Amino acid sequence: MTQFTPSTNVDFIVIGSGAAGGIMAKQLSVAGFSVVVLEQGGWGKYGRDHEYNKDEWLDRNESEEDRLMSDPSRQRNTFRRTDKEKAVRGTHSYGCVVGGGTVTYGGSSWRHLPWEFNEASYDKTIPSGTGMADWPITYEELEPYYTQAEWELGISGLRVDSPFVAPMSKNYPVPPAPLKSSGALFNIAAAKHGLTVVPGPLAIITKRYKGRAACVNCGLCSGYGCHVGARSSTAVTMLPIAQKTGRCEIRVKSYVREISVDNSGQVTGVIYFDAQKREVHQKAKAVILSANASESARLLLLSKSARFPDGLANSSGLVGKYLMLGGGASASGLLEHPLNEYKGVISGAGIVDYVPSDPKRGFYGGGRLTARGYLTPLELGLNGLSPNAPRWGAGYKKALREEANHRMTITCFVTQLPLETNRVDLDPDVKDEWGLPAMRITSKSHPDDLKNMEFFRQKSLEILETAGAKKIWAPAVSDSRGGAHNRGTCRMGNDPKTSVVDKYHKAHDVPNLFIVDGSNLVTGGRNHPTMTIQALAFRAAQHIVRAAKNGTLRTSL
Amino acid sequence: MRTKAKSRRSFLVDSVTGLNAAWITANLPGILAAQEYARHSAESGQLPPLAFFTAAQAAEVEAIAAQIIPTDDTPGAREARCLYFIDRALTTFARNSQAVYIQGLQELQAKTAQLYPSAGKFSALTSEQQIKTLTEIEKTQFFNTVRIHTVIGFLARPVHGGNHNKIGWKLIGYDDSLNHKPPFGYYDAQPEPRRKA
Repeated sequence: MTQFTPSTNVDFIVIGSGAAGGIMAKQLSVAGFSVVVLEQGGWGKYGRDHEYNKDEWLDRNESEEDRLMSDPSRQRNTFRRTDKEKAVRGTHSYGCVVGGGTVTYGGSSWRHLPWEFNEASYDKTIPSGTGMADWPITYEELEPYYTQAEWELGISGLRVDSPFVAPMSKNYPVPPAPLKSSGALFNIAAAKHGLTVVPGPLAIITKRYKGRAACVNCGLCSGYGCHVGARSSTAVTMLPIAQKTGRCEIRVKSYVREISVDNSGQVTGVIYFDAQKREVHQKAKAVILSANASESARLLLLSKSARFPDGLANSSGLVGKYLMLGGGASASGLLEHPLNEYKGVISGAGIVDYVPSDPKRGFYGGGRLTARGYLTPLELGLNGLSPNAPRWGAGYKKALREEANHRMTITCFVTQLPLETNRVDLDPDVKDEWGLPAMRITSKSHPDDLKNMEFFRQKSLEILETAGAKKIWAPAVSDSRGGAHNRGTCRMGNDPKTSVVDKYHKAHDVPNLFIVDGSNLVTGGRNHPTMTIQALAFRAAQHIVRAAKNGTLRTSL
Repeated sequence: MRTKAKSRRSFLVDSVTGLNAAWITANLPGILAAQEYARHSAESGQLPPLAFFTAAQAAEVEAIAAQIIPTDDTPGAREARCLYFIDRALTTFARNSQAVYIQGLQELQAKTAQLYPSAGKFSALTSEQQIKTLTEIEKTQFFNTVRIHTVIGFLARPVHGGNHNKIGWKLIGYDDSLNHKPPFGYYDAQPEPRRKA
């Protein structure tokens, strides 16, 4: 396996190996550049996917070595709703393994719709005082890269002609996952309500593709590594190709603490802690930051220097700001006949008619309803019964037997308006396990976001009722506290005063620093960011390769 | 909203341990040893020896578990060997719950003596008396811990010592083949409704 010494001035360091980092590593190394990927997590079962456990109990009690997500007791973080509060211990976590969150995610791969790139000027009903802004790129510019991402990664789905779904120049490479009972019930309800049901586009292959096996519908999906390698994570699609070039080294257990710069303001490499917490300074001609929206922002803020006293790439003061978290609502119902929702992919069919905002609803916002059943045995036994079911005794056992496999759940994914006050910064008091200031998340959704969630909660109840559910319930909507889908902390734009990176992901302030991940998203989409992150990565890589070959990175590549 | 792996996992961990995150500091050798041991006992057909409880404690814990998931026309926690799951868990995953059990069993003894002075021990009570006793302590950390451990022992993979003969999975109709072909359920097996043109 290729190995570089820290003193070797490699062409690129890629920080993070997830949705975007894996693509950047592959594209840059295939183009002929030397690349060191620094991943703070471990290998997982990289190259040995069949070893991923399908043990519901072990999965919740992983050894440190088998963890696939960050550990909030090590990667400590704090949370508060507003600046007036003192932040308390947070539960934010993200993919932390080679392949990042794509190793365990549900695989939803919705594109942004064309108008989501200029929603700020397109939609006049957006409340004032938010940070909604147009992207510096259009859907048409990004469309070829969506297609590239779908075909290189292996996304299953069905191209549909609908105003509620992004138009595609090419169909998906493999057909959608089989319809589940929840999808069939969606169809029944949708036929009555005049709604549109679309199979969820998923990073899960349903036929053999590029040498990988098809999904076997095992049902222990989101949260687990895929034991047949059918989930199109960057660990099975991109990184093996990168490694095969002989120009890419993946270094695991590498916890980056600083991106270093010289007096001229150019990046010279990064300083990280290795597995033994020894500091290593890896030199590089350019750095790609793909550490997840929350960690990328934190790392920039940690990278203070005389030249960049407020953190790297932060002359705008916007690094960390306009954070968007995953918001939603859900509802469940019990049906007469068994659905066996524990079989198959987690995220099945989607109802897409409410993706656009509609002023008649009385607020700004939109989203998708997805049939998202996932009641594996422990989930059912511990958290899955209807609200008033007894918790123990004969009544509990009766409910277990009667409700098992009869439940359908709808999970909705909705917009969160970008607000300058919602952000990632450094906690002044709490340190992480490496002695660095912990990430602090400040987030309170706009009132319209909460109205939107309630709208989707009510819609879910209606649809369950129309589908014939006998008993229906929905937890009260609640504001997010972090977790997957965080976006928007280093937004993309043409003006260095109002954005952190330019339309090619180059930091406005630093010529050889590129930030490529969910942090660049100007608008959140309807809370399904991964496919857009991946299309952006392919586009960014193409530009960076071209610029590097032309010598226009202003470095000595 | 529990949409992603982590939130689901932390939800579960929280529900199991309250604020005590030490639960997740399980060590792999311990887990593997426990699995090996469960496998061995399953193959030999014998009940495994107890690793943590005394015989007297085990009788009490088993009686509680048998009220949490009772045996009726189908097997319950007792037949699923939830006791043995808990016993092994207390030396591996759930080491930090040991004190909860020791203290909880003492309090159960006291509660039993208070309600039924002549009974001596909880497991000697009639089923009706046991339910009354447990109802009195159902808000305690001890009862909640035993309840959660019993449910996990009933529904986790048999390799962890409980769910003997997949009794728990049979009750809920769970097919553990990890390889499913559509149709998965009743509704997707039906012809599709006619769509609007």
